[in-house]
Amino acid sequence: MAETARVIALVGFVLIAVCASSLLFSLFGLSPLVGLASLFLGGFGSRGALAATVGGMVPLLIMAVGLSVPFTARVWNIGGQGQFVIGSIMATWMGLELSKSAPPSLVILFALFASFLGGALWLVPPILMRIYRGINEVITTLMMNFVAVFLLDWLITGPMEGPQAIALNEPSSAPLPGYLMLPTLVRGTNIGLGLVLALLLAVGFFFMMRYTRLGFELRLIGHGVEAARYAGVSIERDILIASLISGGIAGVAGMVQIYGAQGVLLPQVFSDITTSYGYVGIPVALIASLNPIGIILSAFFFSGILTGAYGIELTYDIPIDVVTALYGIVMFIAPLGFHITLTRRKSRVQRDGK
Amino acid sequence: MDQSAGTLNLGVEGMMLIGTIVGFFTDYYTGSLLLAFLFAGLAGVVLSLLHAFAATSLRADQVVSGTAIWFIGWGLSGVIYRALFGNYLVPPTIGTLPHLQLPILTSIPIIGPILFGEDPVAYFILLMIIVTHYFLFHTQIGLNLRTVGEDPRTAEEMGVNPIRYRYAATMFGGFMAGIGGAYLTIAVTGTFYYDLTAGLGFIAVALIYFGKWKPLQTFLGSLVFGAVYVLFLTIQTHFQAIPYQFFAMWPYLAIVIILCGVAAKSGGPAGLAKPYEKRE
Repeated sequence: MAETARVIALVGFVLIAVCASSLLFSLFGLSPLVGLASLFLGGFGSRGALAATVGGMVPLLIMAVGLSVPFTARVWNIGGQGQFVIGSIMATWMGLELSKSAPPSLVILFALFASFLGGALWLVPPILMRIYRGINEVITTLMMNFVAVFLLDWLITGPMEGPQAIALNEPSSAPLPGYLMLPTLVRGTNIGLGLVLALLLAVGFFFMMRYTRLGFELRLIGHGVEAARYAGVSIERDILIASLISGGIAGVAGMVQIYGAQGVLLPQVFSDITTSYGYVGIPVALIASLNPIGIILSAFFFSGILTGAYGIELTYDIPIDVVTALYGIVMFIAPLGFHITLTRRKSRVQRDGK
Repeated sequence: MDQSAGTLNLGVEGMMLIGTIVGFFTDYYTGSLLLAFLFAGLAGVVLSLLHAFAATSLRADQVVSGTAIWFIGWGLSGVIYRALFGNYLVPPTIGTLPHLQLPILTSIPIIGPILFGEDPVAYFILLMIIVTHYFLFHTQIGLNLRTVGEDPRTAEEMGVNPIRYRYAATMFGGFMAGIGGAYLTIAVTGTFYYDLTAGLGFIAVALIYFGKWKPLQTFLGSLVFGAVYVLFLTIQTHFQAIPYQFFAMWPYLAIVIILCGVAAKSGGPAGLAKPYEKRE
């Protein structure tokens, strides 16, 4: 498609996005301008809003970095949500078990390790199926999400059930002792070691992609499996390693959410966008076209919209689902905006056949 | 059918979700089942057009646009529900579809009530399966469509416009997904709740793999799937000591295991499942 046609398409999509969100707001009798303004002011407009946004971007950023590793090779780990849940389970379990006998720093290290292991292992069966049986990993990783969520639900209503409910009518695990929580850097916010870890992971991803053999090979695979094979890349091994890293990081995101924010295991609701870090991580990674700096920005942006949406839900009684739809719309626009040429180049090499 | 023409449609879940709510409120306000299904189908078509435009014309990655559609359907279904019905604790309900009692036929012992006591949509779906099968495998257009799916370049040399075919197929898929979603609210639950489909759209895509892109086999797959589902429900009522979550998670696990088994048996669909890694 010609360049001009794509520019027209982009303008069209931006218009559609503005119209669509206006329509969404006016459904609830809110003027679109007020709606959009309060969405952005609520997310980015004040110190408090920014603190909430930055705090909220931590799990998204970690998740998006984790997903980007296999995405680079065009291996689609859609199971981040499941790995996140398993990671949070493992981390909480470690914390509750070990806190009686080990010093806090050691407990946190163990929790970090356990969540990485849990998340990585949760992704192994679908990835092995993909490698050895050629089964589309999109479906299988996704199915594993549901399994993980039900497992969590069983654990916090059974073996890991807490002595008292944290919220009314909601099951939960026992809370972690307060001294296990990651220290915060800014008083009164969630901004703390979690953010540092998230940024370190993004930097690590940058170096991995740019300077390591694995990063280079994953990009080769992403550009075309056959070419990569001729170049002597061990595709199976690379995909497996990338997936272990990906699942592990997604698990760590779960650990950070528990140790940095929640402090307790809570149930996951399928339709709740606010806790669907594994799903939202997908657009966060993709609209940044897997660029580490882009991912930091898009995690910030996505988190900001969500923070703003909490505000308009409280003020104007507009459901948070508006955000989900907006995320979807953003996903349509963003690729057109700045990585369509990349996608096109890739897709010419290896699409079709299905 | 959708996939026969070469678009991996992750957006099916989103299209089903939008179908659930559109079908629900159309039925709620008009009381017309036909309109409800029609509008739900059309809502699915609108989303599928977006998908087709991005995936076919813009050549955006299909995982990207599929995920986008999924999110849009997910968000919109919740938004529309809240906009129309407010924030009730107890959702409004509509009557579910009556089960047809075809005279005479239902009186056949045992198989009578099973085969002929279903709701009308079930028969419509059966009809669609047969029509789709015939269409895909016994008409020129169907052959063209499959060629587009297998190898667009060959299709183009044959004088077939792949883009037009992909659009049409994706729209058909969207329509059916919308109807499928509406079926959940109108015929099964009679009410709407958030994320009603809970991955059914994805299960549908998985069943297509099971059926190896053939409607009849896919139908068989759904049937087996449905049968095992009922079996588990029965087991669940008898063994209440086992936590319900284990029953709730099995359909998703089953899909994973079934896919693994199917691929092992034939070795065939390996190449199909991986458009970019043909090495069979």
